[in-house]
Amino acid sequence: MRTLIELTVNGQPYPIDVEGRTRLLDALREKCFLTGAKEGCSTGDCGACTVLLDGQPVTSCLVLASSAAGKEITTIEGVSAGEVLHPVQQAFMSAGGLQCGICTPGMILTSIALLNENRNPTRDQIRFGLQGNLCRCTGYGKIVDAVEVAAKDMATRENGHHMEVKTEPDTNPAMAGPAQADATGGQAPGEKGR
Amino acid sequence: MTATESAKPTTAQTNGQTNGQSNGTHQIGRSVTRIDALEKVTGRAQYAADLFLPGMCYGVFKRSPHAHARIVSIDTSEAEKMPGVVAVITAMTLSKDMASVVEEEMHATRKVVSLFPNIGEKVKYEGAKVAAVAAVSREIAFEASERIKVEYEVLPPVTDVREAIKEGASQINEDSQPADALPDGPFAGHPIYNVAGQNHRAEGDVEAGFKAADRIFEDTYVIPRAHQTYIEPQTTVADCAPDGKVNVWTSTQGHFATRSNLANSLRIPASRINVHGMTIGGGFGAKFGGIVDTYCVLLAMKAHRPVKIVYTRAEEFLDARPAPGAVITVKTGVKNDGTIVARQAWALWDTGSGSGGCYATSRVKGVYKIEHFKLDAYDVNTNKPAPGAYRAPGAPQATFAGEAQINRIAHELRIDPVELRLRNMREGEQIAFKETLSAVAERAGWAQRTKGAHEGWGVAVGEWTNGAGPAGALVSVHEDGKARVFYGLMDITGTDTAMAQIAAEVLGIKYEDVTVSRGDTDSAPFGTASGGSVVTFSYGNAVKRAAEDARDRILELAAEHLEASVEDLEVSDGKVTVKGNPEASVTLAQLGQMSLRSRNGPIVGRGSFSSEPSATTIAAQIARVKLDPETGQLRLLGAYGSLDVGKSINPMACEGQMEGGLVQGFSWGMMEQMQWREDGRNWNPGLLDYRVPTSLDFPDLETVMVEQPTKNGPFGVKGIGEPPIAPGIAVISSAIADATGVWINEAPFTPERVLAAIKSKAS
Ligand code: FES
Ligand code: FES
Repeated sequence: MRTLIELTVNGQPYPIDVEGRTRLLDALREKCFLTGAKEGCSTGDCGACTVLLDGQPVTSCLVLASSAAGKEITTIEGVSAGEVLHPVQQAFMSAGGLQCGICTPGMILTSIALLNENRNPTRDQIRFGLQGNLCRCTGYGKIVDAVEVAAKDMATRENGHHMEVKTEPDTNPAMAGPAQADATGGQAPGEKGR
Repeated sequence: MTATESAKPTTAQTNGQTNGQSNGTHQIGRSVTRIDALEKVTGRAQYAADLFLPGMCYGVFKRSPHAHARIVSIDTSEAEKMPGVVAVITAMTLSKDMASVVEEEMHATRKVVSLFPNIGEKVKYEGAKVAAVAAVSREIAFEASERIKVEYEVLPPVTDVREAIKEGASQINEDSQPADALPDGPFAGHPIYNVAGQNHRAEGDVEAGFKAADRIFEDTYVIPRAHQTYIEPQTTVADCAPDGKVNVWTSTQGHFATRSNLANSLRIPASRINVHGMTIGGGFGAKFGGIVDTYCVLLAMKAHRPVKIVYTRAEEFLDARPAPGAVITVKTGVKNDGTIVARQAWALWDTGSGSGGCYATSRVKGVYKIEHFKLDAYDVNTNKPAPGAYRAPGAPQATFAGEAQINRIAHELRIDPVELRLRNMREGEQIAFKETLSAVAERAGWAQRTKGAHEGWGVAVGEWTNGAGPAGALVSVHEDGKARVFYGLMDITGTDTAMAQIAAEVLGIKYEDVTVSRGDTDSAPFGTASGGSVVTFSYGNAVKRAAEDARDRILELAAEHLEASVEDLEVSDGKVTVKGNPEASVTLAQLGQMSLRSRNGPIVGRGSFSSEPSATTIAAQIARVKLDPETGQLRLLGAYGSLDVGKSINPMACEGQMEGGLVQGFSWGMMEQMQWREDGRNWNPGLLDYRVPTSLDFPDLETVMVEQPTKNGPFGVKGIGEPPIAPGIAVISSAIADATGVWINEAPFTPERVLAAIKSKAS
């Protein structure tokens, strides 16, 4: 039985048709064409499919799409505002918190939720908060570094030393074009998760 | 030679350099941000599963529920009738010459296996593919696969290599001949059954060596199969155009390797296949093609529509190419002063339905001067999937056997295990074994180590020599003075970034002014696959040569413009200057523009590399553990690693390899094991039961880089992706022995095994 539902993803409405058993992960990837959430296991064990549901991290492979209607969904595509990266994104780049990158969207979203709860976590608290997100490449050390760097950066900004974080200085635009309106969905990124 | 310590846990310090004003001449040795970081943190990087083509269908497999059975009949009629099904393939639907799949790997010989078993043939492991279906949705494809009826004659399975070699054991590959009996060792005196490969080697005279020894040690080590557990499952999208052109978008470590596998399997010319290497979500040796891509192309050919296959995690465990397990017996003769005189090894590698393991047994010898060495090793068939490469293939298993015993010898002889190694290590040009071990010992405070109750320290080293392979690259300089690298490299570990740094260094521009692009197999010059730690060594040479070629053109143009001779010019900070006369200069941007109107046209440098030997390297590691005497639970209090990297192009990326590899090695000792029940069923095909480390399992790692350059590597680079996984199992086993006084010789060292060891000591 197909039904029409409306998902609110990154501040934008997505009217889509789903079946009762359609998972949020598939709705996002295959109906909204927001492919930033990745599928690593489909059993809730790897965290690659993590998105934020009303600000809380969930493994979208275990959430039914229909149950997410009416909630604010944030995917990795909605984390940056245009060309301005979220401090957590910036920190994952500068601290080397990624290699193959398949865990990165989930890691970043979980980290954002973590920092929203606790602005100044210890390394142990960061490790505790990230335990549901597997990374096979990094050994986690540089991911913990990244969250620490992001926490400091966010604290500095909140203390009034607001700095625009531009993507330009330490990246190669031609290889990794600036974050811009999501091309597949044709939607402008929202402000969620910031 | 220099040793650089990573500033842990304040990696941010290194990153300070990233945003700084780089001067044009020091692009090597900078911890720059990965070139692909932005697309990865924004979710824009395109992995194979992220691709949706118009009209795309989904493929799924019909798999055997039995570990060992003969196919009696296959009936696909119900599946074919289902609305939405566009293709069904089995052994019967394939022409004879398309009946096999060829897999090419860095460290194993080329393997040819049949694509599907035919009627009368056998399935050799649970989850073996019997048929494949493509349909307009995954649900329909799955439903259709359920409707395929397969009748089996079930045969007795064998899952333990020690049973499989015995006479009377189920014969898995019917054409395999038993190997001749050995005169000595743990399985002497009987022919060896289910043999799929052999490796024998003898140096000196072990018998004489053992006679000359004061003490002889003999131990048997058991290592389970481990899964590479890349987080992105095997994935391919394929499409076949009406003119016969095959396009493949896939998760691969080498798109040229994938192309040649497909060409060989499908019997079509390579020129008719274009492979697009997508961003890869981890491979660790398991993604060289053959697991899904061949089937995906066949379905697409039959369906006349694009087909996507994405493995599930359960399929990963049932039917991918995990690391082989092994049972290795090691006998070592030593003098009382710790000098190793002779070593002999007998090994059975659990290679499931395939082969490829025994070649690595020579690593039991390790990094030591040993006059007399002998090995007899076998690949043994069991009812499990064929093995594949996993980061330094075979090294963690063989190194565990070799190094754990070195630690036991040190313990028995009351010699410090670091000291015993230093006394016996090989030395030579371009080799820094002793320095690398000493560096980690110093970092960990080994000489001053103390331990509390139930605590222990372990140490081990693992050797590795990077491979090398053919690679081509183009470096062009554009009208804005910026450079572009173009080649066919599949980046996993950050190698695109290193290549941009190399090109920048040669051209005297900033890393940020270099872009890198990867071509598909139709457009890019040939490039070897990313495996065997070949990339920075091989492509690094190609890119360096291409950049030098471009620089020659730049100098030629500048010499003409500045009316100076080439010898009097220098390139740095984005311009060419006459030496000693800073006024006389021309920027690369100006030269880029001039080149368009010049006699020889745009600036395009070409570089190619075939193969040159590298020098060997070691990873040395130390662990400090604490055991819970009530539960047997092991906690890591400290983990330290050093590695001779030759020359570090990007220290942050080198640390990333050292840390990631160390964690994989340690966790093979701590928790990872694929398990099979007696009936041949896989016991733990999921991430809940096959445990890989989470962020809670490891403390902050401390790493030290040693730089002993190799002659043939660009700027002295050695391949470093693989070695850090090698010593891990041995490090952990030795730390446990130090804490408990018991040597556990079967990995992983689970709480049950540790607890049993503690109890056995107490009683
Ligand atoms: S895919 Fe959802 S947790 Fe792994
Ligand atoms: S970066 Fe590869 S899994 Fe985390």
